[in-house]
Amino acid sequence: MGGRPRETRIAYLLLAPSLFGVAVFLVLPILVVIGLGMQRWDLIGPRTFVGFDNVVAVAEDGRFARSLLVTAVFVAVVIPAQTVLGLGAALLLNRGLRGSTFFRVLYVLPWICAPLVIGVVWRWILAPTDGALNALLGRRVEWLADPALALPSVAAVSVWTQVGYVALFFVAGLRAIPPSVHEAAVLDGAGPWQTFRRITLPLLRPTLFFVLVTGVISAFQTFDSVYALTPKGGPQGVTDVVAGRIYFEAFESRAVGQAAVMAVVLFVLLVVVTVAQQRWFSRRTTYDLST
Amino acid sequence: MTRSSVLRDAATYLALGAGALLTLAPFLLSLMTAVKSPLQFASQPTLQPPNPVTGENFVELFGSRFGFVTPIVVTAQVVAVILVGQLVFSVFAAYAFARLRFPGRDALFWVYLATLMVPQAVTIIPLYSMMADLGLRNTFWGLVLPQLFGSPYAIFLLREYFRGIPGDLLDAAKLDGAGTLRILRHVVVPVSRPILATLTVITVVTHWNNFLWPLVITTGPQWQVITVATAGLQSQYNGNWTIVMAATTVAILPLLVLFLVFQRHVIRSITITGFR
Repeated sequence: MGGRPRETRIAYLLLAPSLFGVAVFLVLPILVVIGLGMQRWDLIGPRTFVGFDNVVAVAEDGRFARSLLVTAVFVAVVIPAQTVLGLGAALLLNRGLRGSTFFRVLYVLPWICAPLVIGVVWRWILAPTDGALNALLGRRVEWLADPALALPSVAAVSVWTQVGYVALFFVAGLRAIPPSVHEAAVLDGAGPWQTFRRITLPLLRPTLFFVLVTGVISAFQTFDSVYALTPKGGPQGVTDVVAGRIYFEAFESRAVGQAAVMAVVLFVLLVVVTVAQQRWFSRRTTYDLST
Repeated sequence: MTRSSVLRDAATYLALGAGALLTLAPFLLSLMTAVKSPLQFASQPTLQPPNPVTGENFVELFGSRFGFVTPIVVTAQVVAVILVGQLVFSVFAAYAFARLRFPGRDALFWVYLATLMVPQAVTIIPLYSMMADLGLRNTFWGLVLPQLFGSPYAIFLLREYFRGIPGDLLDAAKLDGAGTLRILRHVVVPVSRPILATLTVITVVTHWNNFLWPLVITTGPQWQVITVATAGLQSQYNGNWTIVMAATTVAILPLLVLFLVFQRHVIRSITITGFR
C-alpha cells in the first residue's frame, strides 16, 4: 500500500497518541511482567535478580495450584449456567410479545453496575443473620462462610449478573435467522424441540462461539465480585480464584516476583483456552445465511 | 387467537416476569435498607418495609465520618479526564485507519486488535511497577495515565463507522482547503454523533465501575474512587448494612440513570461487538 508522503505524515501524527498508549500500556507490560518474574521485589525496596527462583516457588506453591482448580470449577459452573439461562431468556424475548424490549433492557441492568458493588449488595443479601435471603427462607444458612456453599454462591452471583448480557447476543443471533427457515421446518413436520435442536441451535453457532469465548476469558479473570463477597479467598480458600491469588501475592504478601510468574501462567492459559475454543468451533460447520 | 396460544403467551409472560423480579429484587431490597434507620434495621425483621423512610444514612455517608463526597469527586474527575482523552485520541486513530492511506496501516491495525486480548489481570503488576518507577503511585495521573491515550476497542468501533461516511463529504471539505483537524471537527464528528454517544456511555460505565487498578495504585482517602471507598466501607463497617447499602445505592444510581437514557445506543453497540 503506497500513500503520499504528506498523507503518511498526517496519519502517523494522528496515530501518535494511541500508538504511544498501546506500546507503553499494553505491549510493554507483557515484557515487564516477564522481567519481574525473574526478580525479587517487595513493592518498596530495590529489585534483585533471582533467575528462575520464582518459577520454582510458584510451582511448589499449593495455593496457586488450588486457585487454578477453584477457577476451573468456577468457570465450569458459571459458563454453562449463564449460557443456558441466557439462551432461554432470549427464546422467550424473541416470541414477539409486547414489552419484550422492556424486559430485555431490565435484564441487562446488573451487568451495567460495578461488579464490586454488586458483590457488596449480595454480601448483605447472603449475610447469615440479617441478610435478605435467610429472612425470606426463615432459616440460617451460611451461604458465604460454609466451605461447601461459598463457591456455588459466588458463582450464582456471577451468573445473575451476566444472564441478561448473554441474552442480548442470543436475541441478536435469533433475529438473524430468517423466518422462512423455521416455516420450512414446520411444513416438513418438525416439532418445536426438533426445530430448535436441528435448525435453531446449529444456526446460532457463531453467536454461541462468541458468547463462550468472551465468557470464558472474562470468567477466568473474575476478581471484583469474589473479592467483595468472600474476602481473602473465602473459607479454607474455596473461593481463592486465580486473579485474586495474584493480587494477594503481589499486594498483601508483597511477593511481586512470584505474582508476576502467576500472571504469565494465567496469560498463557488464556491464550491456550482461546485457541482451543477456536479450533473446536472451526472443526464444526457453520451455516452462512447471508446469500 | 387459539386457546393454546393464549396459554403459551401467558406462560411466557409469567417466566419473563419471574426473571424481572429476580433481577430487580436485590436492587429494591438494598434501596429499602438504605432508607431505613439503623435502629429499625437492628430491631425489626429484615424484610419489614422502612417506617418512616429516612435519608439519614445518606446524610451520614456524606458527612465527615464516612467522607463519601471525596470518592465521588475523584471518580468524576477520573472518568471525565479519561473520557476526553479516549474520545479525542480514538477519533484521531480511527480516522487515520479508516480514511488515510499510509504504509504499515494494516499491520498496525492488526497489532491494535491483538491488544484487545491482553487481560487486565496480567498487566496490573507490570503497570504498577512502571508507575512506581515514574513516582506516580497514589497520584491522579497514576490513576488515569494507562487509559488516557485511546482504547483499541473504541478505535475499532469508530473505524467501522468512519468507513461508512460518504467520500464526497470529505472531498468537498478538502476542496475547500480544510486541514485534517478541521475536517475532523466540522465533518467527521458531527456526522458520528450516535457512535460517539454510545462510546461516551461505554467509557463512563467502564471507568466509573473500575476497581482493581484504583485499588492497587492508590492508598488512603486522597485519591480513593467510589468502588474502592465502597469496598473499604463494607470491610470496616461490616454489619452496618444501612450505611453500606446507602453507599451501594450512591455508586449504582448515576449509572442506571445514564444507561436508561442511552439504552438504545448501548444495547445496539453491545450486540455489534461485545464491549470490553
